[in-house]
Amino acid sequence: MADLVFCSHYPFSRQAKEYVSGKGLELTSSILDKAEARVKEAVLDGKIRRVAELPDTMEEELALYAASRMIISSANNRYLINRYAVAEAKRAREYLNSDDASRPAFIDEVASEFGVKFEKSGEWYALPLSGYLAYTPRSIDYKLSNREVSGGKVRVKKMERLRILEEAVKKRTESSLPIRAEFQPEVKAAGARILSILPKLETALIRVGQEGYPPCITKMIEELALNINVPHTGRVALAIYLVNVGLTTDKIVEFFRHAPDFNEKTTRYQVEHIRARKYNMPSCSTMDSYGACVAECHCGTPLNFRQEIHGRRLKRMEEENKGSEKP
Amino acid sequence: MSQTLQSPEEKFLRKIFSEHYKHGGISVVSPEKREFGFGGWEKKIEFRHIGVKNEEQLRAKLVSEAPLYVSHSVGYYEFPDARPMVRKNWLGADLIFDLDAEGHSCGKFTCQHCMDKVKEEALQLINDFLLSDFGFSKSELSINFSGSRGYHVHVRSDAVKELDRDARREVADYVTGTGLEFTRLFWADGKKFLGPNPSQGGYGGKFARAYVEKLNDDKFALSVSRKLKKPEERAKLKSAIENGNWDNIGITNREKKLQEKFDQMKLTLAGRIDANVTADTSKLIRMPDSIHGGSGLAAKRMEASELKGFDPMKSAQIFTSGTLRVKTTEEVPEVPHLVPEHLAAGLTLELPMASAVYLLCKKAAILA
Repeated sequence: MADLVFCSHYPFSRQAKEYVSGKGLELTSSILDKAEARVKEAVLDGKIRRVAELPDTMEEELALYAASRMIISSANNRYLINRYAVAEAKRAREYLNSDDASRPAFIDEVASEFGVKFEKSGEWYALPLSGYLAYTPRSIDYKLSNREVSGGKVRVKKMERLRILEEAVKKRTESSLPIRAEFQPEVKAAGARILSILPKLETALIRVGQEGYPPCITKMIEELALNINVPHTGRVALAIYLVNVGLTTDKIVEFFRHAPDFNEKTTRYQVEHIRARKYNMPSCSTMDSYGACVAECHCGTPLNFRQEIHGRRLKRMEEENKGSEKP
Repeated sequence: MSQTLQSPEEKFLRKIFSEHYKHGGISVVSPEKREFGFGGWEKKIEFRHIGVKNEEQLRAKLVSEAPLYVSHSVGYYEFPDARPMVRKNWLGADLIFDLDAEGHSCGKFTCQHCMDKVKEEALQLINDFLLSDFGFSKSELSINFSGSRGYHVHVRSDAVKELDRDARREVADYVTGTGLEFTRLFWADGKKFLGPNPSQGGYGGKFARAYVEKLNDDKFALSVSRKLKKPEERAKLKSAIENGNWDNIGITNREKKLQEKFDQMKLTLAGRIDANVTADTSKLIRMPDSIHGGSGLAAKRMEASELKGFDPMKSAQIFTSGTLRVKTTEEVPEVPHLVPEHLAAGLTLELPMASAVYLLCKKAAILA
């Protein structure tokens, strides 16, 4: 029998899903309105309010969670999804904090939701290396080199294990959205209203697109602007590209400013390093092996893109002209 | 594949490689989910995005195309031959460690010293990191000679299969000690100077164990403190460290001295593994047991227990029967088991097949 308190605290859990499918919660207009407000709060303020633990409100929480996911899916924008995921994770973290004191069994339950088990030994907790690597935030505090690693287990402190679960909720939310489905008109309308919160960022992206950068480079710039983590290899390639097309270090640093782990000093140093060492632009096939190639432009290296595309266009125009000369 | 520009040497090598692949030289788990890359005389990977249905089809390709180098993806894909990469649909990847003798200033021709060094490092990687720290079992490790100057370790485990690039880089950083803040292992508690004990995990435990062990060495002990001349003082220090108490190592420049000792002990594999290879989830890596076209040796697979006694220049030879007349085109130093003595340039001589193939692959000789 599913525990309603647990389900309402952790609506992303299997238990909650079972509870909802058993109950057949209805998507009323009142639920939809509240869910829209919930998503708006999440995206704008980065948080989702907790509610009182009454049977009715707890069930409503489950419905609101499901409806929120529909709205955010209908808006279908990576930046919004990432902001929303951060807020869901924070909400879960607040419950984790309070449950750690009053309902410790809940913590183990949430951990098992992510295939992780924390073994207590003294003041410490040990978790499997795979779980540690999958869910710890990429920050200096969690650098594996500074951890006690032994027998496939990594030791963490009591509070750190909650931080790891918070990150797991964030990652799960990000990767499970958007839901691909046809939504009813009211959901779509709510999604469109949420999307309208975003005009500023969108114009920034259009500006980038006009520079004539190749699709792989444009995609990385967009992702960075949307707080999406671009892998190290991709970032280096991007910086090499921008150095080669003649941008100043100041300008290049700006492209990385929205990266989730941005550090101005480090970025500046790395860009300068790339400039000083005259790094070679990775070829298209290398970009492909990084998983950074997104189109088939056949230009050898991303640096050739502008010339290639321009050249092909010229050629096509010439051919068209030739054709028109014929009677 | 273009046949017209092949030199007689390339033709000869391709012929004997093809012969070899009729029966041997294949060791790959789930070939149907891997991308393959083939290389020739000029490039180690000339063609990639090659997919096969099964081992039989792979063998047929190797026999008919006779590549000089064979690589396969560390990753598993739903559609290994699709392009661009994103369309392959990545399903997971082995975790790879690539150790190379290049960093040991080894030249074009392999030398015993460098090969011994890199083998030691491979053993350190396997014993101190993969088995003890990361807790993998021996059956999850597949070890092979790279075919040239190093070793590859493939970890095949559900625990790591789906790790992304960032997570893999974190693993590589651990092995190389990147981001390690050594001084954070020690702290002052009132008048006491506390630190790691030998039974703990991570670099703290590694350091404490190595330190206690090193105290048996007179030179080391005296470099810590002259007081440690006395055996009872040494025993006292050892038992204090067993409890994480580092009080007795002296006060002046304590942190700096500890850091120096740590650096001397070479407990990390900094600069010894290629972190980019470990982080790359779609890397193409030499297929175990295939022939390396730069040496004519096999990228021979072995059990963890065999590594210690493994002598690549001898045990990885494939073409062991017959002889061949070749003419050296440059000076060649002695190479254990392969080149019996220093050879001058322009020398025509009859060599055992493996030696002749080695020189042809090194482009240091031509057919005579």
